[in-house]
Amino acid sequence: MISVQNLVKAFPQKGGDVFYAVNDVSFTAGDGEIVCLLGVNGAGKTTTMRVLSTVFKPTSGTAEIQGWDIKTHPQQVRNNLGFLTGDTGLYNRLRVHEFIRYFGRLYSMQDDEITRSMNDMAELLDMEDFMDKKIEFLSTGMKQKVSIVRSIIHDPPVMIFDEPTSGLDILTARNIISFIRSCKERGKCVLFSTHIMREAERLADRIVMIHKGKILAEGSLDALREETSQLDLDDIFVYYVNRYAESVTEGAKVEAHEF
Amino acid sequence: MNSKKVMIVYRKELMEVLRDKRTLFMILLLPVILYPVLIIGFNAVASRQTGVLKEQGATIAIQDSVNTPVSARLLDELSKVEQFTLIPAAGNAQSLYKSKDIQSIITLRDSVSTDGLITYQVYVQYDETNDLSGLTFTKIRDALMVSEKSLIEEELQLSGINPEIMNLIDVRKLNTADSQKTMGKMLGMFLPYIMIIMLLSGAQVVAADLVAGEKERKTLETLLVAGVDRLDIVIGKYLTIITLGMINLIVNLFSISFSLQYMLSQAGMDLSGAGMPIKAIFILLAAMVPLATLFSAILLSISTFSRNMKEARTYEQPLLMVSMILAMISFMPGIEMNNLMALIPIINIALLFKAVMMNDYQLSHLFLTILSTVVLDVIAIWATIKLFSTEGILFRSDEDGSSIKSIKKGDSKSKRAFFSPYNGMIYFVLALLLLFYLGSYLQGRDLGSGLLLTQILIILLPVLLVLKIFKLPIKETLRLKAPKLKEVVLVPFIAISATVLVALISQAINTIYPFPAEYLEKLGKLFEMDMPMWRSFLIIAVAPGICEELLFRGLMPRFFEKYGIKVNIVLTALLFAAFHLDPFRFLPVFLLGMLLGYLTLRSGSIVNSMISHAINNSLALFMTAFAGSSWLRLFISSQEDLKYWLAVPAILILIIALYLFHKVTGGKECVE
Repeated sequence: MISVQNLVKAFPQKGGDVFYAVNDVSFTAGDGEIVCLLGVNGAGKTTTMRVLSTVFKPTSGTAEIQGWDIKTHPQQVRNNLGFLTGDTGLYNRLRVHEFIRYFGRLYSMQDDEITRSMNDMAELLDMEDFMDKKIEFLSTGMKQKVSIVRSIIHDPPVMIFDEPTSGLDILTARNIISFIRSCKERGKCVLFSTHIMREAERLADRIVMIHKGKILAEGSLDALREETSQLDLDDIFVYYVNRYAESVTEGAKVEAHEF
Repeated sequence: MNSKKVMIVYRKELMEVLRDKRTLFMILLLPVILYPVLIIGFNAVASRQTGVLKEQGATIAIQDSVNTPVSARLLDELSKVEQFTLIPAAGNAQSLYKSKDIQSIITLRDSVSTDGLITYQVYVQYDETNDLSGLTFTKIRDALMVSEKSLIEEELQLSGINPEIMNLIDVRKLNTADSQKTMGKMLGMFLPYIMIIMLLSGAQVVAADLVAGEKERKTLETLLVAGVDRLDIVIGKYLTIITLGMINLIVNLFSISFSLQYMLSQAGMDLSGAGMPIKAIFILLAAMVPLATLFSAILLSISTFSRNMKEARTYEQPLLMVSMILAMISFMPGIEMNNLMALIPIINIALLFKAVMMNDYQLSHLFLTILSTVVLDVIAIWATIKLFSTEGILFRSDEDGSSIKSIKKGDSKSKRAFFSPYNGMIYFVLALLLLFYLGSYLQGRDLGSGLLLTQILIILLPVLLVLKIFKLPIKETLRLKAPKLKEVVLVPFIAISATVLVALISQAINTIYPFPAEYLEKLGKLFEMDMPMWRSFLIIAVAPGICEELLFRGLMPRFFEKYGIKVNIVLTALLFAAFHLDPFRFLPVFLLGMLLGYLTLRSGSIVNSMISHAINNSLALFMTAFAGSSWLRLFISSQEDLKYWLAVPAILILIIALYLFHKVTGGKECVE
């Protein structure tokens, strides 16, 4: 379960300015639910996820992962979280099983526990042939499987996928998509980000649209269709972006009027 | 810190590094091969030179324009040298010499002095740059000296004088240095240098890979979201660098040691007691540990700061250069270990090294060396951990920079663009160069007018020019604004009490690290200039009060505004202290610089720090002027030092005045 409350992440810029990458964002994602963070490049998706995974500290507001506050209990948050991105790098000089064991140990798991979990997943993802190989000799698809196992070795209740299919070929991307579905089936709470509308349509129970650090709209695909009277997610997204642009300029007008 | 997690990170990094063939080669294999090859190669080349002379011999053309029994004896002695073939010099001797068919041309002449004594001149033509020719010359000279001796002996005997008179004075060496000390001096010259460079280069190979490499390969984010604290990651990686640096060092040291022993035994030197003292090696390795920790911390912070490995390698270069230069100090004759040297990193290890190798070191120096290194160590590690928590730096990749665009306010764009820390450092370095070359030239001509010209031409004028060229508002930029009356009233109290305190600190430093006499003499000249009081006051107090303030409290802080007021004050004070080009006054000037920076940045008016600076400088002048008066004796001891009890009222006054100053300037901070 993820709950985000009034999250703000600002980056100081050269010359004393401040850039608000995430600006007052709130949403939730429940167990057994797939929530999609949808937005164009630079909308604030990655920053939001980095804050949720304790890589970044929030400027204000907060979030809870499985009931643990990201600010006060970062260690517990990390232990309850699996994190996967599309362009994750791996340690090339390690063997696959060494790599997975390394992360298992960092999650304070016992060695026999790691071995059991690793063997189960190797069977599930059809990886048994290359568990002893060095990672540098693996294909992209094999590497992505290794990344998947790495992200769930500690069996976290919450999974975060940041643009999980970006840069992958169709077959590898399909592996990821089906893996995300299987997470849901096992009752995990899933948050994934994408800028590809089709992916959001196919996977998400609920969609959170984010633009310039702010949330434009939130709801199931059907609810969004109903609200906007548009059928296609592309059109729905454009509808909200335009409405946002109008509200910003109108807001400016009101402000100008007041002075 | 979770030591279990640290060890997990450490073990993994070590395994990964040791699987890298390139790293393995650099750290383990290269040193094992390098020294034997170098030393054997050196031996081979050296013995080859003598071999060539032996094999080929040298043909020497002789031009004997004297032709007496004496010259015949000289030539006879030469012909006894077995490698030499003597031929009479013909007209083509020079062309034969040029084509290297003959190796030397010897011309014999004689001359008669006024009292009838005949002397002989032997001109030996040879090529200094050619080793073979040089060797030939040495052999010729030796042979001629043998002849000379026997000729003189004969002459003496003929005159009825005992030839033993030639050995009237016989200097014999009674060297008290034992063989270990001699060996130690030899090794102490170059070993520290090699070891420091080895340590650094070994650690360097690994460090760039550990964080910058992770950024480049996009594995860092994965590591950060794993169940481990950043501190544990930093320490784990840090230990990895230290370990590999030390391994590299040890391998190098043993390889050098074995190669040297091999070389010495080949040269037939007596090795009993003169070998590399094993005990010394272990002391040295122990002394290198703090340096290894320091280098590792610096390298790790460089690696963390860099976007990718290439950038990390670039940033590592200056560190290598500085370390090489500092390590080279141990080569310099006359530089010996003392309490001051023991505080300077790298130099202290190099000198300690020299001392240990000669079995002649003091525990206090060892202690100071380790202490100062550990202090720097802690600072560097703290900085790394800070960097590791700085999001902007951890995720500084090329893409991130472009995706996050800043929204700038249009009005002050040119001002913002000009005032960057980078430009600040450039300006500072240029001003320093100008001061160093032009300033010392001006002051060398005439101290008084030179000082004044330095202030105006080197310090003040460029500030105004830069502001004019970049079209920046002079008054606003330099904070040239009238202070409040309350502030001006408080400033003298702050200035006087601070001056007294800083003077006391200088005195305390002087008792621990006495200033060199010539330095004090130079400083004294400043106050004994032969000129009217008002002129000294102008040169020593007023001019620096205005010019130095406009540079260091006016212009410089503008460059570092993005760091916030506290860091800004510290940074500009550091530059201010460095600008005085005076290691003995660095600390006092730095402390004053911080105070002056605070006065200006807090109140928004540079006039406050100008007044304070002028008061500070004139107090020293004041004390010299009234040195004789009896009431001043109350505060000054017989050695012309301030009495230490003055610290108590000074601290009290400073605290109260600063507190009031802080209050009356409240709310004005950063209002621009």
